[in-house]
Amino acid sequence: MRFAEFTPYDIVLLLQGLGVTVGLFLITSLIGLLVGVLWGVVRFYRIPVLMQLVTFVSEILKNSPVLVQLFLVFFGFPAFFHVNVTPVQAAIVTLSANTAAFVYVIAVSSIESIGRDQVEAARVFGLSRWQVLRHVIAPQAAAFSIGPLTALLVNQLQVTSLISVIGVLDLAKIGATLNLRTLKPFIVWTAVGILYYLAAKAVASLGAWAEKRLRAHSAFRGL
Amino acid sequence: MRLDLTILIPHLGFLAEGALLTLEACALALIGSVILGMLVAIARTSSSKWISRLAFLYVDLFRNIPFIVQLFFFYYGLPEIGIYIDAFTTGVVALSIAGGAYASDAIRAGILAIDNGILEAAEVSGLSKRVTFTRIVLPIALRTSVRPLGSVLINMILTSSILSTITLNELTGQAKIVASDTFRPFEVYVVLLVVYAALTYLVSLGITLLHRRLNRDLQEQVS
Repeated sequence: MRFAEFTPYDIVLLLQGLGVTVGLFLITSLIGLLVGVLWGVVRFYRIPVLMQLVTFVSEILKNSPVLVQLFLVFFGFPAFFHVNVTPVQAAIVTLSANTAAFVYVIAVSSIESIGRDQVEAARVFGLSRWQVLRHVIAPQAAAFSIGPLTALLVNQLQVTSLISVIGVLDLAKIGATLNLRTLKPFIVWTAVGILYYLAAKAVASLGAWAEKRLRAHSAFRGL
Repeated sequence: MRLDLTILIPHLGFLAEGALLTLEACALALIGSVILGMLVAIARTSSSKWISRLAFLYVDLFRNIPFIVQLFFFYYGLPEIGIYIDAFTTGVVALSIAGGAYASDAIRAGILAIDNGILEAAEVSGLSKRVTFTRIVLPIALRTSVRPLGSVLINMILTSSILSTITLNELTGQAKIVASDTFRPFEVYVVLLVVYAALTYLVSLGITLLHRRLNRDLQEQVS
């Protein structure tokens, strides 16, 4: 074996992989959040056919393995729709849709967490449905949903590791490459695991910070 | 661009074999993770600080590191230290350990939810600590945590698709072979999505029934 030893460059490789993982995680979370909230709004307005469609799609996405969804987009779409799909595109589409499905559930439950009497009072004051959503429901729903959202995002960060299977050079793929070259699985996968762990902890503490900020207005200030 | 599902008919038996392997692995891993989860839940509710801290560390680590990284750690790592087991056993062990972290949380919640009056009654009746735990605390905790344990199982079925990356040909692995045999990845993976969704739906139905049956005497409190 010529290249069987670790080199200092491996650290750069690992950090590069971490960068790809975190970057894709941020992009897909953002898209997923937007799409999921949009689906929630569709349900809030009770748009007929669209509402059932959204519920169905989110059920399918929630109840099937992300790996199969990835394969469907990466191998299935090019064969069926005759389009070119790069691994990164497939990863972005799949992870965004998957995040959206879970965000949709959180959005629906946090909209429903707000008492009907508040909505009715706002309507009596002459606010439109949009104004009710924007000024009455959204601020409270955001504070309510931040806890479950943090848990979801920590989970989605780990789900990003699956994109290594279709060839995206993320942290898990770098780990596999280093493992093949050095044949030292314990060191390589421990290092990769620690990096994922630290990233998950960072997301969790950011979520806790955001929750504290959003709940500040309703927190007990003392007498 | 026609969705033609009839091409799958000759491969149904082949896919069913994979589904059977998935169920087998999940059933074994469920047993493993409930046993492990029980032990860890006991450790986490223990009054000894070090034991509970150690148990928390295990849960924290295995929940925050992606399953694929854990799986590769075991699959490539175990032969390194002279343990040669096949992919199926490795997969079941990895699923059990990862599932155990989630199961322990469910069982711990069940233990903490037990009414203090029950414990006091056991103490007054002169039962030893061990008998109180094995005969009173655990049966109640397991019974009330059937539903959360069920979602652990559903997650496990979805997670088991990742076992296809270590050459274990369960449902997803078999589907991959069928997709490359027929050149129809789109049809294969669409069907696979629906099969997984149907499978998890059936499991969740079964769990609801089991939960109701086991808790029929405290129907109004639990349901």
